[in-house]
Amino acid sequence: MTAIPLWVRRPAAERAGWLRTVDHKEIGVLYIGMGVAFFAIGGLEALLLRAQLATPEASLVDPETFDQAFTVHGVTMILLAVVPLLVGFANYMVPLMIGAPDVAFPRLNALSFWLSLVGGIVLYFSFLAGGAPDTGWFSYAPLSERAFAPGTGVDYYIVGLAVNGAGTIIGAINLAVTILLMRCPGMAISRVPLFVWMTLVTSVLILGAYPALTAALVMLLVDRQLGGHFFDPAGGGQAVLWQHLFWFFGHPEVYIMVLPAMGMISEVIPVFSRKPIFGYGFVAGSSVAIAFLSFGVWAHHMFAVGLGDTENAIFSATSMLIAIPTGVKIFNWIATMIGGRLRMTAAMLFAVGFIAMFVIGGLSGVALAVVPIDQAVTDSYFVVAHLHYVLFGGTMLGIFAGTYYWFPKMTGRLLSEGLGRWHFWLTFAGFNLTFLPQHWLGAVGMPRRVFTYAASTGWGPLNLISTIGAAILAVAMVVFFVNLARSIRSGEIAGDDPWDAFTLEWSTTSPPPPENFASIPAVTGRRPLWDRKHPEAREKE
Amino acid sequence: MRPPAEAIGTLALIVGVIAFLIFVGVEAALVYAIWRYRATRHVAGEPATFERNQRLEIAWTAAPALILAVVFVLTLGTMAEINGAGVAPAMRIAATGHQWWWEFRYGGTKTANELHIPVDTPVDLDLTSVDVIHSFWVPELGPKMDMLPGTTNHLRLLARRAGSYDGQCAEFCGVEHAWMRIRVVVQSQAEFDSWLAAQASPAATGGDGERVFLSSICVSCHAIRGTTAAGTAGPDLTHVASRATIGAGVLPNDIAHMRAWLADPQRFKPGSLMPRVPLADADLDALAAYLGSLR
Repeated sequence: MTAIPLWVRRPAAERAGWLRTVDHKEIGVLYIGMGVAFFAIGGLEALLLRAQLATPEASLVDPETFDQAFTVHGVTMILLAVVPLLVGFANYMVPLMIGAPDVAFPRLNALSFWLSLVGGIVLYFSFLAGGAPDTGWFSYAPLSERAFAPGTGVDYYIVGLAVNGAGTIIGAINLAVTILLMRCPGMAISRVPLFVWMTLVTSVLILGAYPALTAALVMLLVDRQLGGHFFDPAGGGQAVLWQHLFWFFGHPEVYIMVLPAMGMISEVIPVFSRKPIFGYGFVAGSSVAIAFLSFGVWAHHMFAVGLGDTENAIFSATSMLIAIPTGVKIFNWIATMIGGRLRMTAAMLFAVGFIAMFVIGGLSGVALAVVPIDQAVTDSYFVVAHLHYVLFGGTMLGIFAGTYYWFPKMTGRLLSEGLGRWHFWLTFAGFNLTFLPQHWLGAVGMPRRVFTYAASTGWGPLNLISTIGAAILAVAMVVFFVNLARSIRSGEIAGDDPWDAFTLEWSTTSPPPPENFASIPAVTGRRPLWDRKHPEAREKE
Repeated sequence: MRPPAEAIGTLALIVGVIAFLIFVGVEAALVYAIWRYRATRHVAGEPATFERNQRLEIAWTAAPALILAVVFVLTLGTMAEINGAGVAPAMRIAATGHQWWWEFRYGGTKTANELHIPVDTPVDLDLTSVDVIHSFWVPELGPKMDMLPGTTNHLRLLARRAGSYDGQCAEFCGVEHAWMRIRVVVQSQAEFDSWLAAQASPAATGGDGERVFLSSICVSCHAIRGTTAAGTAGPDLTHVASRATIGAGVLPNDIAHMRAWLADPQRFKPGSLMPRVPLADADLDALAAYLGSLR
């Protein structure tokens, strides 16, 4: 068997080592490694939650442990798993896709990764320091004030998230500058691959949203440690102010997590349909519309706060508007498939799964934009179902699609398609079994974040089904990890361009050399590699 | 006016049907594309490359916009309706959230965890909190509304049928969030009036249990009207035996469960602000019997 280097085609002796590397590919791998590790931890936390809720009035864990677990599960999955996974793929792929030798600021790139990781470690250190935060990932004041959360958990949450956020902000600046200034000759902004487009839009979202979180965290720290009263009504503060600041970050954060995954399937679907993306301009433009609107929808998380009918109506309207550019994307993906020649590989299965599941999350999202319906089901399991259809059914399936697609580029080896199909179908079954019943649980009255529920409520059977689904989902993830571990060592050799793909990352070796390309490529269209492989198509024009 | 729950139900049905139709349409298109255009059904070679169609894009941007415009108009109508639609309430009740129980005040008469309202009568709750944010939610009676410290929110209730309706706190409020349940008892005006009159009257006094209660730490948090106990941190116990549960839903309310609860509240509701009060067995018996007599 040929020994091929992993991640970057460089002799081991010439490697700087993981601690000192400033190569965008190796930093991308570090980000992905961080994301995978925290995804596994967050998944185990979720299993603990589901085990406790499988039957009514259970006492597998005590309420404090349960509260810590759901708090850390949320923070972990959002900030320490999904964001690093997406940023990791962007780090690895964006320079390759735009024909650049590296990102604009390689050292800053290393700094942003290490800050992100240290933020996560600070958060998890709370377990050793006397208890993890237990006030929810949203950490609403005044519950998160020292009067009601006297432990140090919330302080670790504040510092951990602020440090992690600094890393994410620096990374966003780096990626945005790279995309704006380092495209190869001919790569006009209207020709960059859609994953790069979405990464650019996401970077702008991060720059707008994360500072609001940082500000709120600092204010909360002042309240807790210096006797401030920003969010303390008894001292003249405003509890609702925290919610405004948090969701001004929190809602764009949803699109920060969804747009890059949409970018991934916008690469995968055309390649495996053998067609260019349908409506490139509309797919790219709708992302800008989503990004713009996403800063004006935050109060739909607050329809039951009592803001008043006028404010609620305005945020209801903006939240409905954002469904339109989202729908446009879905129609364009399906139109890309129509008339194509579909190869249903594991990557394509996950991309199609994204569309199928994200539609459900999108439609329940529109229902939540309808103020009276939201006031009925907000803070219930309906919202838990909705957000997991968006973030697991959408984002995670997109990340899996991207993983099956790009793994060969990063390692030189293919993931097993057989295990990939098992992974997909187990995920599909487990996911729907876990989260579909939660819509009904929420509609009939089961609130979120309860460590148990009375037997008399009758919520037991659906919760049991949900827990069984979570177990199946866990098996699916084991299959995935086995696939990763086996394929890294002994997967089929991929070659430079195993999918007969369209974009520049497939024009270099797998894995790419340190400088990415032997010479900086020049492009003349949106599918530079396809153009090279089909000179006859060009002559016809 | 219609009960808010009915108005929301109608709106949810309309939105649900629209969403279901869109769901079926999109999934069908997806399945069709996969079935019709699988590579195995075709000969080799690259497929045709059509990649834009302006009119199609405009159509599938405009169609959802029109549907959403209709949904938005329906939303505005229902919002006005569930907030009372100009109908004045026949009665206002003050509801206050505490970690982890509910206080209800009918004028000067206090009770806890069990809200009684007359049937077919618009009632407004004035909602606030003394500590963290809670949220009042009884699904069968309508929307939920948050209870914020330092602010008063309002929620319209209107029930068409007598009976009892369960709900619970919907905003995460700390360790015993799960056991902050509500029971709303909807009864005829006559039954309601007599219930309220009974609640307004002071407790029957006398006996060993009362002596135990008044001589222990209980009085620093609880009130029993007609005695010297006037604590306000915990639920008013003047007619505690008239309520269906103990600890906001955690135990059924009978003398045996009351005794077990008094012996160690933390066993049933760990984290609850009610401490374990060391009492002799005989005192526990007397206290449970006394509280069980406060109907």
